[in-house]
Amino acid sequence: MKEFRFRIIIILAAIALSIYLLYPTYSDYQNSKEISQFLEKRKDEILKSNPNITTSELNRQLKVIEDSLINSNPSFQEARQDRIKLGLDLQGGMRVVLEVNTGKLLEKLAKDPDETFRTLLTEAQNEAALSDESVVDILASKLSERGIRLSRYFGSVRESDDVIIDRLKTNATDAVTRAEEIIRNRIDQYGVAEPTIQRQGNRRIIVELPGIAREEEAKRLLQGTALLEFRLVRDPEFTINVMQRIDEVLAGKNKDTLSTTDTTAQDTTTQMSEEEFRKEHPFFSVAMINPESRLADAYVKESDRNKLQEMLNRPEVKNVIPNNVEFVFSAKPIGYQEGESIYVLYLVNKTPELTGGVITDATANIDPMSSAPIVSMTMNSEGATEWARITGANVNKRIAIILDGVVFSAPNVNQKIVGGRSQIEGMENLEEAKLLEIVLKAGALPAPVDIIEERTVGPSLGEDSINNGVIAAVAGFFITVFFLILYYQRSGSVASLALIFTVLFTLGVMAGFGATLTLPGIAGIILTITMSIDSNVLIYERIREELAVGKTIKASVDSGFTRALSAIIDSNVTTFFTGIILYQFGTGPVQGFALTLMIGIAASMFSALVITRLILDYMVFKGLKITVG
Amino acid sequence: MRIFENLNVDFLGKRKLFYTISGALIFLGLINMIFRGLEFGVDFLGGSEIVLQFEKEVDITVVRDHVQNAGLQDAEVKTFGGETGVLIRTELQEVPPNIFPEIVNEIEQTINNHFPGLEKTLIDSTSNTVTYQLPNPDTTDKVVDVLYSEGFQAAEVSVEPGNREIVVTANISNWIEGSLRRSMPDNPFEILKEDKVGPKVGSELKEDAVIAIFFSLIVILVYLGFRFKFIFAFGAVLSLFHNVIITLGLFSILYNVIPGLNLEIDLTIVAAFLTLVGYSINDTVVIFDRIRENIKFHKTLPLFDIINKSVNQTMSRTVLTGGTTLITLLVLTLFGGEVLRAFAFTLFFGIIIGTYASIFIAGALVYEYATRKKRRVEF
Repeated sequence: MKEFRFRIIIILAAIALSIYLLYPTYSDYQNSKEISQFLEKRKDEILKSNPNITTSELNRQLKVIEDSLINSNPSFQEARQDRIKLGLDLQGGMRVVLEVNTGKLLEKLAKDPDETFRTLLTEAQNEAALSDESVVDILASKLSERGIRLSRYFGSVRESDDVIIDRLKTNATDAVTRAEEIIRNRIDQYGVAEPTIQRQGNRRIIVELPGIAREEEAKRLLQGTALLEFRLVRDPEFTINVMQRIDEVLAGKNKDTLSTTDTTAQDTTTQMSEEEFRKEHPFFSVAMINPESRLADAYVKESDRNKLQEMLNRPEVKNVIPNNVEFVFSAKPIGYQEGESIYVLYLVNKTPELTGGVITDATANIDPMSSAPIVSMTMNSEGATEWARITGANVNKRIAIILDGVVFSAPNVNQKIVGGRSQIEGMENLEEAKLLEIVLKAGALPAPVDIIEERTVGPSLGEDSINNGVIAAVAGFFITVFFLILYYQRSGSVASLALIFTVLFTLGVMAGFGATLTLPGIAGIILTITMSIDSNVLIYERIREELAVGKTIKASVDSGFTRALSAIIDSNVTTFFTGIILYQFGTGPVQGFALTLMIGIAASMFSALVITRLILDYMVFKGLKITVG
Repeated sequence: MRIFENLNVDFLGKRKLFYTISGALIFLGLINMIFRGLEFGVDFLGGSEIVLQFEKEVDITVVRDHVQNAGLQDAEVKTFGGETGVLIRTELQEVPPNIFPEIVNEIEQTINNHFPGLEKTLIDSTSNTVTYQLPNPDTTDKVVDVLYSEGFQAAEVSVEPGNREIVVTANISNWIEGSLRRSMPDNPFEILKEDKVGPKVGSELKEDAVIAIFFSLIVILVYLGFRFKFIFAFGAVLSLFHNVIITLGLFSILYNVIPGLNLEIDLTIVAAFLTLVGYSINDTVVIFDRIRENIKFHKTLPLFDIINKSVNQTMSRTVLTGGTTLITLLVLTLFGGEVLRAFAFTLFFGIIIGTYASIFIAGALVYEYATRKKRRVEF
């Protein structure tokens, strides 16, 4: 028995690990069933109570309900995070490849562009569309053909063409970073579940949006120009005042039902239970104020954001918010509490003091004096005059830097800034400063992007695909098992058992890696099922041969495994190599296929060489009859 | 149960016959490729492709007429899957400039039909978008909803509550969808799939695909050269190349021949070809492994006999593994759904060729090479 113990432990550990890794996928499946049933019910209720509701409003309300359902239960979120993710081809959604339009960027960067420049640029763009050369290079060579120096349009006269070309190329790369940040910012706000945004090469961005229904909306998220604004943050007294009024209006609704507790609750504020507080102060229970702070910034948990937004959208609440101000969120969480991101809610003026077009440059740096990260920002002369007036009038007030509706920073104005050169401090680290630099530049320089590839899969095709794929997989499995048992009898059932574990391990490893299951991925699993019996077939054929020569069962099993080993390894390694190449070459669905194929190969080798071996060895040990057909 | 026990067939002796068969298959494929060409999907050609699922059965010629009436004479319209699926493809990237004014006209008419007398000002117009300003934010919401449900790509310009501007985009696939929705109001459809690929991306993908397949052949050549001998690697890779060429030829021969089977070369098919390479090498390696072993054991036996012996010894494994894989792939082809059909079919056929080549061609090529070079193969 001792000789088996170690192997049994390894196998049991592998099985336990796979089940552990797959459990979230199972519970997420159950959870989503529950949630969608609940949402269906609520949808009917809403439609009954308000038959004239527009589809977009209905969807918005349902989204709020769904969010609060998911957020109210941390186990829902955990399961969702750790499940096997479904690819866009299975759950529906949109995949967009964007490329920065260098031509448009050059046009924007050029000083006094004339007709010649424009014609040459258009020509260069058309040529670049069909070749690998960059627009910058083509334009440069076109200009030099005509004897025009690049410094006529870019940089200064003393700079050589090469220097300018280099800088223009850096500009183009920066534009991709900028576009990526702008897109990320918008998608975060739009609330797409599990988006992926990645860079491809130095000009492209791949965006994947699962479950996006409105193509046009999604495209606007990706392509629209960014709006950078400087807006005044309202002073604490004013803000607290507005918040209190909102709180009263919201609580007023509740008070009708709770009038008895009203008086007692007033003076025992500190002892109020959490639930009472929530009823008394619906607004402050989601937008928390730090009473010690001299600022009136409210802190909002991520899970409460939609709820708060919905509160602010109610007509009775809108009535008490002055017309010239509005609430905006911080773009990034400022911290974490109990595993949840905390955002800041600011009350700012509706009209911007200044918009980002006046910014000429921004750079993140480390201040040599204090070694703290800083961002310096320069404005053109027109902006500088305005800026001096604005900062002069608002010393010791805060100005929020807002990109596409969310606050990236709200620095305090220390003094009047003359000459257009400002310095922003107070960033936690250099990365934060870099982000602010990108944001400030986003207002100044456009990052025009073109959609060069777009793929949308409707949700129903995905559902059909899953169903068909599962049917084919199950059928493939049983056919394979049928042949195995028919041909190899008892050893065939051992191999079939190993096959079940192969599938379990493959799925487990995928869940562990956070891999995405795609439709070709399902095909990959089906292929794995059939190909993984190959190792078993190789071994059994060898055992048969050894038995035919007249060896004992034990000797046959031993040498069967040893002699089949080289064939198993060589054949699987070569297939694994093509898997790697496929992964490199492919996108989305095809990568999913390559991944399942590779994981499947590894899992099948483990099953054949460890599990089948153990069972056969054990049978030999127990003196059981082994039939290899 | 046993098959092929103590099989003893002189495969190598009949190699001329198999060379002829393979040669004929390759020739047939090449002739077709030259004269009929290969059909590439939108992934490689660039353009737009949409797949629609109608609620009721549709007559494909009716859809084709509607698409052509909409101004897209070059669009390709064919069935997808069952009686209710339609695939429409065009190489155009944008709505042609002569059609755009018509679209704008239809947008305005739709607004007028639903909101008679609504005041709207055209504030911006590009080659494929129009932007309108409407009198108040509430109607703006409603107009967007109406336009969207009528098949136009409409959206509000900004998400601010006070927004009064809407932008309507007319890209080619939306135009097809929209005009079909309006011309076939009694048979609504949903969009199953929509792909738009720019021309540059298409040609890049084509390049990548060819590189991927050749690279995988080279990697296999190197690995087998390292694990076996160069002459085996050579035989294996040449027979892999043979499999790929024959399967590619079949694509050219069968294109548009079998109804319901859409044999165009797209990304998934390239994946199938790479898998085919990976699978067939599996088969070949098993046989070569046996040859390697037999050479070590039977030092005096000539290579001719060793190859024959090895192919015979591994025959039952080759047939069993190949057989189950083929049956599973057949299931996948028949029941795996529309999207995987061509993929499974490619592999199904490819694996038949691959198994044939591992038995009859790969070993023979090694033998050919060894006799030409008059070299003894040793391990």
